[in-house]
Amino acid sequence: MAAVGGGEVQKLAILFERHHRGLFRYFVSMNRNRELSEDLVQDVFFRMLRYRASYDAQQSFTAWMFQIARNASVDSAQKRRGEVIGIDEFTEHKPDQSPGPEESAVLTQDLRLLRLALDRLPADKREILVLSRFQGMKYDELAGVLGCEVGTVKVRVYRAMRALEQAYLTISGEKTA
Amino acid sequence: MNCDETRHNLPEYLSESLNETQELAFASHLASCEACRAETERLGSLWRGLALLPGTMPEPTANVRDRFYESLAAFKHGMESAPKHGFKEKLAALWPRQPAWQMAVGFAMLVMGVGVGYEIRPAKQEVQQPAGSEVAQLRGEVSNMRQMVALSLMQQQSAGERLRGVSWAYRVESSDTEVLSALLYTVNNDASVNVRMAAVEALHAFGASPVTRTAIVQSIRKQTSPLVQIALIDLLVDLKVTDAAPELKKLSVDAAVDVSVRERAKAALGKLLQ
Repeated sequence: MAAVGGGEVQKLAILFERHHRGLFRYFVSMNRNRELSEDLVQDVFFRMLRYRASYDAQQSFTAWMFQIARNASVDSAQKRRGEVIGIDEFTEHKPDQSPGPEESAVLTQDLRLLRLALDRLPADKREILVLSRFQGMKYDELAGVLGCEVGTVKVRVYRAMRALEQAYLTISGEKTA
Repeated sequence: MNCDETRHNLPEYLSESLNETQELAFASHLASCEACRAETERLGSLWRGLALLPGTMPEPTANVRDRFYESLAAFKHGMESAPKHGFKEKLAALWPRQPAWQMAVGFAMLVMGVGVGYEIRPAKQEVQQPAGSEVAQLRGEVSNMRQMVALSLMQQQSAGERLRGVSWAYRVESSDTEVLSALLYTVNNDASVNVRMAAVEALHAFGASPVTRTAIVQSIRKQTSPLVQIALIDLLVDLKVTDAAPELKKLSVDAAVDVSVRERAKAALGKLLQ
């Protein structure tokens, strides 16, 4: 990113190839709308070009990128206030691991329940789990993105995990009832 | 380590970021506390499951990549055709950063200005007011030049040049009908979605004209890209074009129209009829 900030804007393509899928997953996890998420990915990379001079090479690029992503998401929500946004029903892919057919069916079922449980969490809890688990962000990076202390991040991750467990148990109960 | 501390350290334990001493203390507490051990196992299982979820999620379509590279090329072209270091930037580089120096330079320039002005002051009888007509003529020439630049750039082969042309449209008077018709032509006929989107944005300044308002409504049906259609619908809302209500109503129920455009038309209708 430092090179992009220095004027080599074509190097943004490297960052795009590396990060656009992760960004897309973040947006889809937050709004469940594929088309809107694709627009937001474009918006984030366009903002990176516009604000490239503000990037500090001492700072984590991922944290900076997700700060931009959160702002883009908030701006987009404000623009769409009052509109009804469609929720896409995604066709789920099988996980990358390749266990036997029976084990795979159980695993797929468990993951589907987990996915539903994650979707039921309030946005702030879902966001912290998506950032820490899907994006592999460290707690100090998360503190930078969320604008709080590292200790607060840990407490919020713990609470989000407890809420996820509660939602997972509720959904499992609904499915077996 | 007690139960509270164990709960506090659980996220770091799960992400394997505790140091050796903390991990030992954590494990030793688990060995003696059934409740914490059970909670760590339950949450640990969900934590491992979360890592597998991205593999079950949809991938972005190829459209994302195409749009990114198109925007990047247009941006790069725009940068290359812009002057590297204009007079303004050179002047700005000379300006000191320290406020004390800024004040000193400002004061020195004031003194110099007064001195030079005193030296070159004309005799009283020679003082003449600049003719109003000359100023008006100069303004007219500048305005013509901006119009010429906007119009000629909008006819270029390269999408980047046409984008620059559209950005020049912001600098002309909102009553300039030639630039308005060039913008409307671009919105309806330009091959690049990005240029069409930029032209829709630029139409905001011309929103007072009834020609603009009618043309926006007519243009929605001519568009092939849902993105541009949505931008046009948003523009109708921004400009409060209530006359567009019948057309928006038709769009919102037309099955041949993209679903997101239909939804946006429906939402726009609600806003316009409030």
